Amino acid sequence: MKIAVLVKQVPGSESVLPINEGQSWINEDPVTFVMNPPDNFALEEALLIKERKGEGEVVVVSMGPNRVQKVIREGLAKGGDRGIHIEEDEPIETDPLLIAKRFAAVLKDENFDLVLTGLQSDDTGMGQTGVLLGEILGMPTATLAIETDIQGESIRLKRELESGWFQWVQFPLPASVSIQSGLNTPRYPSLKGIMGAKKKEIKTVLGSELDASSRSQSIDKVFVSQTSKQTEVIDGDVDVAVQRIAEILRSEIKVV
Amino acid sequence: MDSITFSFIEKLVLAGLTLAALSSFSYEVYRRMVIVLQGTGTLPLDRFSERLIRVFREVILHEKVIRERPWPGIMHALVFWGFLVFGIITLDHFSMGFYKPILSHSAHTTYSYIVIPFSILVIFGILSLTYRRFITRPKALGKISITSGVVALFIVILMVTYLIGEMNISPLLWKVNWWIHSIVILAFLFLIPRSKHLHLVLGPFNIFFKPFDQPEHTPVHIDLEGDEDELDAMLTDLTKLTQNQALDIFSCVECGRCTDVCPANRGGGILDPKNHFILDLRQPILNNKDVAVLDQINVEAGWECTTCQACTEVCPVGNHVEKSDEIRRLEVLVEGRVPQEYQKLFTNLQETGNTEGASSSDFADSLPVFTPDMEYVLWLGCFARHGLDPNFNRSVENFTKILDTAGISYGVLEQEHCSGDPANRLGDKLTYTMLREHNMEQLAETKKVVTLCPHCAVNLGKEYEKYDTVNYTVEHHTQVVGRLIEEGKIKVQMGENGKVTYHDPCNLSRMLDIVEEPRTAIRSASTSFQEMEENGRNTLCCGAGGALWWKKETKGRTHLVRAEQVIESGADTVVTGCNFCYGMMKQGLGPMTPEGKEEVVVKDVADIIAENLA
Repeated sequence: MKIAVLVKQVPGSESVLPINEGQSWINEDPVTFVMNPPDNFALEEALLIKERKGEGEVVVVSMGPNRVQKVIREGLAKGGDRGIHIEEDEPIETDPLLIAKRFAAVLKDENFDLVLTGLQSDDTGMGQTGVLLGEILGMPTATLAIETDIQGESIRLKRELESGWFQWVQFPLPASVSIQSGLNTPRYPSLKGIMGAKKKEIKTVLGSELDASSRSQSIDKVFVSQTSKQTEVIDGDVDVAVQRIAEILRSEIKVV
Repeated sequence: MDSITFSFIEKLVLAGLTLAALSSFSYEVYRRMVIVLQGTGTLPLDRFSERLIRVFREVILHEKVIRERPWPGIMHALVFWGFLVFGIITLDHFSMGFYKPILSHSAHTTYSYIVIPFSILVIFGILSLTYRRFITRPKALGKISITSGVVALFIVILMVTYLIGEMNISPLLWKVNWWIHSIVILAFLFLIPRSKHLHLVLGPFNIFFKPFDQPEHTPVHIDLEGDEDELDAMLTDLTKLTQNQALDIFSCVECGRCTDVCPANRGGGILDPKNHFILDLRQPILNNKDVAVLDQINVEAGWECTTCQACTEVCPVGNHVEKSDEIRRLEVLVEGRVPQEYQKLFTNLQETGNTEGASSSDFADSLPVFTPDMEYVLWLGCFARHGLDPNFNRSVENFTKILDTAGISYGVLEQEHCSGDPANRLGDKLTYTMLREHNMEQLAETKKVVTLCPHCAVNLGKEYEKYDTVNYTVEHHTQVVGRLIEEGKIKVQMGENGKVTYHDPCNLSRMLDIVEEPRTAIRSASTSFQEMEENGRNTLCCGAGGALWWKKETKGRTHLVRAEQVIESGADTVVTGCNFCYGMMKQGLGPMTPEGKEEVVVKDVADIIAENLA
């Protein structure tokens, strides 16, 4: 059982997020980075699957500048067997399709049985990478798994749907699955794990040598959203008020 | 009965029985001591005279036994003092059987004027204790102990047979009585080492060896660059009891005082220090003949501990009861099993050096930055720095007002990181190492540190000292305030605070022994200061210690028990000397205050002084 887990390094939830001068992204200098919390659940699920089967390999894969080596090491300290770092220059890529293509280019020759991702990243929150990756690699794909069960050459999954509904799906391996947060209790790296992780291999692949074409989206401008409040008191009887409200809805807010 | 003689056969039987009893006793004690000596570390012999004085106070005077439970304590003392008085009588008794009495007839008669009243007091004492154990049955004593019943019966028989022996009776009856007395004493020797009554032997030694410091846990030195075999050896040692801890296990008298005072237990949690930290380990060490048993501690109970040291403080036989540090570090460092909220806390500490994961602190920025010409580094701690209760910032400002008034210079460190208290208490000694090393660097040129946070004070001082040479002094702000008042550097007038009480923080009272200074300060500003029932070193934890402040869900209501007591005390203002207690009180008093009743005002010592500066 060979499992790839995609982990992303994202700003911590309490970190400051100053916008950079060109308003193209954030200024990363004062930002504290952590492992994307949903990916932590995906990593734990991969380790649990391996432990349940009693054999296998968990490969921790991340894309980004040098700093992301830290989350790969963290994954290795928790029990990952080796790492792959797709090294990117600044500015980091934010287009999920391009990200998925690059991951696919690196993962396709490894013949993974299972590719796990967190349901989304806590920075841009697009939730696309796992799905797109599955599509590119020609694997069956499911999102929001809350239970996994490997049955021979296939995987059976419980997926979370809306309003308390669940769905069981089963499809053959290899497959790509995105993991819903909270399905397990992620472990903490033990001291032995931390020491051991230093000796584990992290293969570095240059992102610039991978597919850089056909960007599907890009960021024009990053800014803090402005909110404002306008209040208008309508004098007069009900008819006047109704007419005025209808006019506001139609021509000012343009919702009807 | 000087005319009584013993035949050769009788002497032979007596010698046989005595030898059997003494060998059994020695063997049982010996095999336990072999296990104790397998423990890590050594039994301390420093501060020898202080240790002897402690033995005198706690063993001979029975101070702790009586203080915590006065009536049963006095009853126990009667039995114990009786034992001391009976020592020479017992020697005399056996020497009479083998050869001749060691006391002359007149000496025996004179001494009996002391022993006879004592034997009656012992009977009274042991019957009272038996009544309590078998009729009243307080919960703390646990299951009915048949051994205790047998011991009580033995003691009564010993006293009665002694009294009969002092009477003028027929030689035959006298001899039968003599033999009953002897056999009961010898049976005692069989029973003692196999039961909690071993405390008769080990208690005094255990009190002698008890660590002076609370809490006392072996420091964990982590070198990530070091040799892997050394790391393995260190991790293996983490499961082992120290010699002192192993001695504790055999000394426990199972009285349950520790569980009685435990805030987690009183708040409805599962933690039961008597069983979880002590008795659960007794059988495993005996069965395995090995001290590597710390992994047997109930993990869930271990996470509930507030590390307040009430259990350790109260133990009458000198046990360092609390072992949450031991089980937590095993969970964190060896197993990697850490509750999710604590993983977040550790990540925050590693990435940002503070508990909240904050990138900056506006409050710290509002205070003067420390420069070497200043007297004090004002150590803020995460609580004040990052507004864990924003109201507390005013208390810090009040303290700076006091310093300003007294003309004392101070400044904050720009690169202050968490002292490491939560990581230390939760067992993440690696994160603790990182924080400690960073802070030691920041404080390299510092001479004096003052802080409002007792948790920081404990760590920056005595905890860091377990790892490094600390060249600065750490004071808690109540010490500085108390001194400024005594030296007349600040003038305080009596203020209108209504009835004022003081909540002793565990880290301040039990860990730093700072009890008087805050009271000196409060009394200078309040005419109606009154103590709560549990005060000083016997205070009740607010519920935040042991990093439980960051625990999302707790089974019990540990954090509300003390707030309830504050309300019941009838005080209008509760003063405390710890930011965590301050925050916890505020959180607890709100929901606990009955409708229509005014909420008790929470203040720091700095508040009540600054508000009443003359």
